[in-house]
Amino acid sequence: MKFRDMLRMSGSSLWKRKVRTILTVLGVVIGTASIVVMISLGLGLKRASMSEIEQYGGLTTITVSEQGSYYGGYDDSETEIQASTEHLSDDVVETIRGIEHVEDVYPVLDTEALALSGGYQSYISLRGVSAEKMKDLGIKLGQGEFPEPNAGQLQAVYGNMVIGEFHNEKTGQGYWYNGEMAEVDLMADTIMYVFDMDAYYNFLWGNTAEDGTSAPMPKKRIVKTAGVIEGSVEDYNSNSYYVFCDIDELKRVLKKEFKNKIIPGQPTTAGGKAYKEIFYTAIMVEVDDMNYVQQVQSEINALGYQASSNAEWVQSMQGQYNYIQLALGGIGAVSLIVAAIGIANTMMMSIYERTKEIGIMKVLGCDMRNIQGLFLLEAGYIGFIGGVIGLGLSYGLSAIINLVVKNLNLGMNMAVGISYIPLWLALVSLVFAVFVGMAAGFFPSLRAMQLSPLAAIRNE
Amino acid sequence: MSDTNKKTVISVKDLYKIYRVGESKVRALNGVSFTIEKGEFCAIVGTSGSGKSTLLNMLAGLEKPTKGEIVIVGEHMETKNENQLVKFRREHIGFIFQSFNLLASMNAIENVAMPLTFQGMAKEKRIKKAEEVLELVGLSKHKKHKPTQMSGGQQQRVGIARALVVQPEIIFADEPTGNLDSRTSAEVMALIKKIIREKNQTLVMVTHDDHLASFADRIFRISDGKIISIENGTRE
Ligand SMILES: Nc1ncnc2c1ncn2[C@@H]1O[C@H](COP(=O)(O)OP(=O)(O)O)[C@@H](O)[C@H]1O
Ligand SMILES: [Mg+2]
Repeated sequence: MKFRDMLRMSGSSLWKRKVRTILTVLGVVIGTASIVVMISLGLGLKRASMSEIEQYGGLTTITVSEQGSYYGGYDDSETEIQASTEHLSDDVVETIRGIEHVEDVYPVLDTEALALSGGYQSYISLRGVSAEKMKDLGIKLGQGEFPEPNAGQLQAVYGNMVIGEFHNEKTGQGYWYNGEMAEVDLMADTIMYVFDMDAYYNFLWGNTAEDGTSAPMPKKRIVKTAGVIEGSVEDYNSNSYYVFCDIDELKRVLKKEFKNKIIPGQPTTAGGKAYKEIFYTAIMVEVDDMNYVQQVQSEINALGYQASSNAEWVQSMQGQYNYIQLALGGIGAVSLIVAAIGIANTMMMSIYERTKEIGIMKVLGCDMRNIQGLFLLEAGYIGFIGGVIGLGLSYGLSAIINLVVKNLNLGMNMAVGISYIPLWLALVSLVFAVFVGMAAGFFPSLRAMQLSPLAAIRNE
Repeated sequence: MSDTNKKTVISVKDLYKIYRVGESKVRALNGVSFTIEKGEFCAIVGTSGSGKSTLLNMLAGLEKPTKGEIVIVGEHMETKNENQLVKFRREHIGFIFQSFNLLASMNAIENVAMPLTFQGMAKEKRIKKAEEVLELVGLSKHKKHKPTQMSGGQQQRVGIARALVVQPEIIFADEPTGNLDSRTSAEVMALIKKIIREKNQTLVMVTHDDHLASFADRIFRISDGKIISIENGTRE
């Protein structure tokens, strides 16, 4: 039997029972619409929150650090082999720049220093990045300005919580110590940095240097304040504990201060000596598209570095939204299940009514598979028609929901709408409606196939 | 039987059909054997409940025998599964029902063309064939009529056309005129006979009416599931 004839036959037998068909289809319409609208809400929520994250640019940044810089305990031999190749140098920056989908690469250099000002002092975490990149890090200044590039001197931008670290050299008085804020005006007062803290304490405690002479006072360097990050001393963000400065100036100063001595935070050779070069603490990598972050990340990992990004976090968040969607879809699915029961019921009734007709068809040589196919097609038609109408209804409902939510103005990023029906959802829901119809019609169709041809012979 | 031109199309050997009704057994067919040649018109006659329909149904593969052998155009019916039986009917057998059994939603042409649809024939071709056969049974004016718009005789002629349209080797008919008045019955019988004679088709007809049976070449008289006599028909 030709497929076209089967379509025609099952279509016309549905048409014969119009009212019943329409009622059964109505169930599928409601079922499809409730699933699609529910999932569209989940998708819309996900899309809104993703676009919010994307505005922070946090989705496309990879932080590259040295292997084992967070996790120790590597095999010694392995560490040694890697030690010669894995420090983050300008060469590494250039290598990463060459990876596909990498948009921008810039190094970060962290070190420590002691800041002194008018009897107050504080250990500070100095973070060197290129002056141009400071703005890109999302730093917002409360006072002052960003240091200009190539200033020829070290200029500092203080995190808003740094001031709390300053304490009186003698009494220990300070914000984090006893709640009394140090009397230091970061913008106006002169602040001096000591980089070589070992030498400083050797001098303070009157220790002798390696060559036997008494330790000299290391140089104190006046560091001009360029700006302070906005926010109070209690407002934490990822930048608030750091003191930012230009990375090239920092490198220059460190070289001058330490000569051949080991700089705090820098790796050493296998023999425990300082390298000539200053290595970076981390390299920041900007990827052109969120979808390539993991790819780039694994390429960097393959180079022997440790790469981390928000990708995993974003993925787990996406996973969470998938659960929400599943839950919402499940709620919608209940009504489709009810519709499926309706289809099965309609098909069963139809088969009881048509016992004789099926018998006649069998006597006249209609293939059993064709008989089953006819009934499956009928059920599939119900699913399809219900799916199409249900989808149309969903688009309408989705538009209404978006309109209402827009007018409510809930403060979320609702430019894109809270209900969102992508093309794939439309197609999948159609296929699903047809599938549900056919699944509901499966057992009735088996029954039709197995009916005895003798039903045709018996006289009613 | 000495005529070498004669070809056996139906051969039945030791056929039994036993129904179980609760504890008791009903021997609907109790050891039946016969052969039918190509082009023959055979009537199976007997009183109600004698087993005529049971025999015909088993010949057409609608029911399985309890025991025995049925060979039709060289193929054993008793070993076929239901799928194979359906296929066999589609290719070799036409069936005429007592109660016409036309599909009410279809007009005459569509009803006649239905078995061709099952064969997978294209629409234009099967409509053309159906029109030809409808003409043959004298219904060219009623092509578009639905069954409810036709008399019993006309409906049965559509039924005959539907059985003939696939050009089957064998046609089975169970009381084909059972629902018609006697005048119409005779007309329909004459029509059936005329057509199968022209095409040299084999017809096996069940009836309880001796007068209608007399149209046949041979008459199998059946009683309590056994053939009690085989007579030759009285008219030419
Ligand atoms: N499905 C069945 N179950 C039990 N007994 C049956 C069945 N079909 C037929 N019979 C019995 O078999 C016998 C022959 O029936 P049938 O062939 O229909 O007779 P006929 O067609 O000659 O009137 C009858 O006694 C009938 O009651
Ligand atoms: Mg009977």
